[in-house]
Amino acid sequence: MANDNSKNHVWLHLGLITFTVLAIYPVLWVLALSFSGQQNVGLIDLPKDPTFFERFRGIVPVPAHWSVQNFVGVWTEQDFGRWLWNSAVVSLMTTALGVFLACTAAYAFSRFRFPGRNTGMLMFLVSQMFPGTLTLIPLFIIIVKWLELGNTYIGLVIVYATTAIPFCVWMLKGYFDTIPYDIEESALIDGASRLTIFWRIILPLAKPAIAITALFSFMTAWNEFILASVFMESEANYTAPVGLRFFVGGFSSQWGYFAAGSVIVSLPVVALFLQLQKYLISGLTAGSVK
Amino acid sequence: MNIAEHLKRSALPGLGVSVLITLVLGAWLFHAEENNLRLQNMQRLAVMHANALALAVANTNVEETNKRVVEIQNHNPRIESIIIVGGMQLVASTRPEDAAPRRLKREEKALFDLSNEIRAARETNRGEEVVRKKTTKIEEKADGHFVVTVPYLTDGQFAGILQMKFNAAGRNVFSPMPDSYLLASLLFIAALVAGSLLLLHPKRKFDLMKLLALGVYLAIALLYQYQGLNQLEQAMSQANRAIAADYLATAEQYDRLGYLALVRDKSFVNLWDTDHYQRPLGLVATDGSISEGAQAAYFSKRSEYLKRILGAIDMLGAAVLLFIIYGYAARMLAAIREHSYACAYVTPAILGMLVLVFFPFAYGIALSFTDTTLFNEFLPFQDRLIGWDNFKAILGDFNIYEQTPEGIIWNYQNFYWTLLVTVAWTISNVTIGVTVGFILAMVLNTEGLRGKAIYRVILILPWAIPNYITALVWRGMFHPQFGVINQVLQMFGMQPVAWFDGVFSSFLTGVATNGWLSFPFMMVVILGALQSIPREMYEAAEVEGADRWQRLKFITLPLLKPTLIPAIVLSVVWTFNMFNIIFLVSGGEPGGANEILITKAYKIAFENYQYAYAAAYSTVIFMILLVYGIFQTRITKATESF
Repeated sequence: MANDNSKNHVWLHLGLITFTVLAIYPVLWVLALSFSGQQNVGLIDLPKDPTFFERFRGIVPVPAHWSVQNFVGVWTEQDFGRWLWNSAVVSLMTTALGVFLACTAAYAFSRFRFPGRNTGMLMFLVSQMFPGTLTLIPLFIIIVKWLELGNTYIGLVIVYATTAIPFCVWMLKGYFDTIPYDIEESALIDGASRLTIFWRIILPLAKPAIAITALFSFMTAWNEFILASVFMESEANYTAPVGLRFFVGGFSSQWGYFAAGSVIVSLPVVALFLQLQKYLISGLTAGSVK
Repeated sequence: MNIAEHLKRSALPGLGVSVLITLVLGAWLFHAEENNLRLQNMQRLAVMHANALALAVANTNVEETNKRVVEIQNHNPRIESIIIVGGMQLVASTRPEDAAPRRLKREEKALFDLSNEIRAARETNRGEEVVRKKTTKIEEKADGHFVVTVPYLTDGQFAGILQMKFNAAGRNVFSPMPDSYLLASLLFIAALVAGSLLLLHPKRKFDLMKLLALGVYLAIALLYQYQGLNQLEQAMSQANRAIAADYLATAEQYDRLGYLALVRDKSFVNLWDTDHYQRPLGLVATDGSISEGAQAAYFSKRSEYLKRILGAIDMLGAAVLLFIIYGYAARMLAAIREHSYACAYVTPAILGMLVLVFFPFAYGIALSFTDTTLFNEFLPFQDRLIGWDNFKAILGDFNIYEQTPEGIIWNYQNFYWTLLVTVAWTISNVTIGVTVGFILAMVLNTEGLRGKAIYRVILILPWAIPNYITALVWRGMFHPQFGVINQVLQMFGMQPVAWFDGVFSSFLTGVATNGWLSFPFMMVVILGALQSIPREMYEAAEVEGADRWQRLKFITLPLLKPTLIPAIVLSVVWTFNMFNIIFLVSGGEPGGANEILITKAYKIAFENYQYAYAAAYSTVIFMILLVYGIFQTRITKATESF
């Protein structure tokens, strides 16, 4: 029986390894391209009539010559540093604004009973059903044409922050509900004001949930592509996603710069994702199974 | 009783607030309408001059046309430039650098397109015998500077377009209305005085004083609005007179040059003074006289919309008045004061949501009932309304394929084709995601398998990378010449595939990319569910003699169902709306054949600039998702009961 099992496992391992190689290949390909020091989409220059092995060498994700030229070039020859800075500023501002708005609203929904409370909660839930393109055109008209906030950080930040609010509020409210009310009551008796309680007691206690919320807001802004490409028209104001597309979209093909930029942009996100996947998955499934 | 107490019990706050609201909204409305009318009259003037010239050059040869065009511009300083386009030819131009006549340049293709659009509009109108498509295009370049495009005919046949840049600014076609601030302030003071005199009975439901307060409010509101409408009408007839005078002066000028094509008599079929469908407005006769009756009829048609809004303002004001004098307002204020903390905490978020989520949503739906494009968005909203036409054009167009001798030609721009592609896209992706995810989860759940954690982390990686990067990477790997995938095909002696040139192969690129990035989610979800199935169940089944297949069918699948169905439901919506993959990998190539609904809506809006059509498209998408959402809750409920 044991023998039978291990034999099966060999096949399983073979299958798994094949699949894993397939799954990780695009990642390795980008990594190889980013360290290749050239701009072509092919990793090596193939001779005129390549043999089987020359072609095989062409698909192995190892650059012909190792070089950090693409990483240097993307900073010095391209505007990528600026785009990354734009993305960082927009994402951080979105996080700050989004978390502030979500914390205050979630606290009120969790602790106060006031007229319109249920309507408000429902409103947040319903808004999740609106399709992106339907609000995209009006948002473009409102932000770019009416408020003239195109090509500014603020235009993007307020839109990102409000889109992230519903999820953050529901998440934080759930957490605030678990903090016992007794703590607040005793503080109230001691003469602390509501504001003090919120700042000094509730927020420090809710740190883990706030961290998740902040990350969610940050990732929303960091990975967003459509709104940014519509709002940011001038090249100096591109965010990193729009800039990366600029390298290889349309008729330009600076694949080396694209690969180097992609690695820089993805690293923090992938690291965070792998760290936090447990919470994310439990949140997703908890919401859906219910 | 002291004065403060008296005023508190009087109708003063109610009348004050409601009258103030009515006056402010009314003044704003009249002001906006005044601007609309000014714009409209400036456009009318520009159209008149373009029509006049188009008629003057209708039956001449190219040389004479060029001469006349230059002559007219020299005589009229308000005309900034004129060009005439016929087919691929620039027939005439007043810009010296153009050297007309000559062929159109590449970068002037927009003019050729515009000409075709107007020709098509004319043919539609003629074919259907209803006036549906505008044959005159107007664009406002800068304040008061218009570019007017009208059809250019020779011998009564459509031959091209005439485009005129016209400066209507600074010209006295619409004098500003007299300020109504004095009247408004007087009415407001009257409301305050009347309000302070009316002492309300707090307990009684109906008393004379409340009725009186309502009467005073309505009298003031109607007086103000009547006065405003009157002023508007006067301004309009004055504008009409100014245009008639301009018409006469221009006609005389054309006469002197010997170009006039209009006989000046009492006829109101004035072919110079037309609307956007080239129908005579009938306001100014060809001899310059004005029809009072037609003018009044025109104004009453125009002001109907205005009157409806004014009525709505009156109702709002009356509601506010009743709200305050019945004491609800005081109670609400008290409630806000009592819950002041909650309000302060919630207001910023709610306000943001209202302004940036709910308002855009409502505005998008409103937009879908207009014909807004980049070129006419400066027009007032009511002039852009076209009812259900966009929806009819989207949903009523069943022209999905054409039968030709060479076979069937699919119409890739058709909504139902795109819907078909979207459904195929969603189904194939979800199927792949679930199948691959399920198999991997089953394998990873094998007992005693080594290196599970490593496999899991690597296999989850595609999910972690931002999907726009994934999409662009796959676009590179599908590169027809140097892409890795074609290298592999060639390695085994196959021909390279031009991936983005074929409908099916292009579809495959999207599916491959999306499959790659969506299986980890399914895998993780299913793995989580598998691990929560108690081992004892399998052991018991084994004891009963159930084989592998039976265990899968009777234990694993039923127990996975509560997790799997919500995950599938979720991933259907995600895939349906997966903008980035289609947009970045294939871009809907070839020829828009692989567009899904959401990328199509985006392209209509931001590549064709048909905002309203795109909004209608998005509304249809929303309706589809809504139907799906209702359907989905049913299914989820059904599984819960299971």
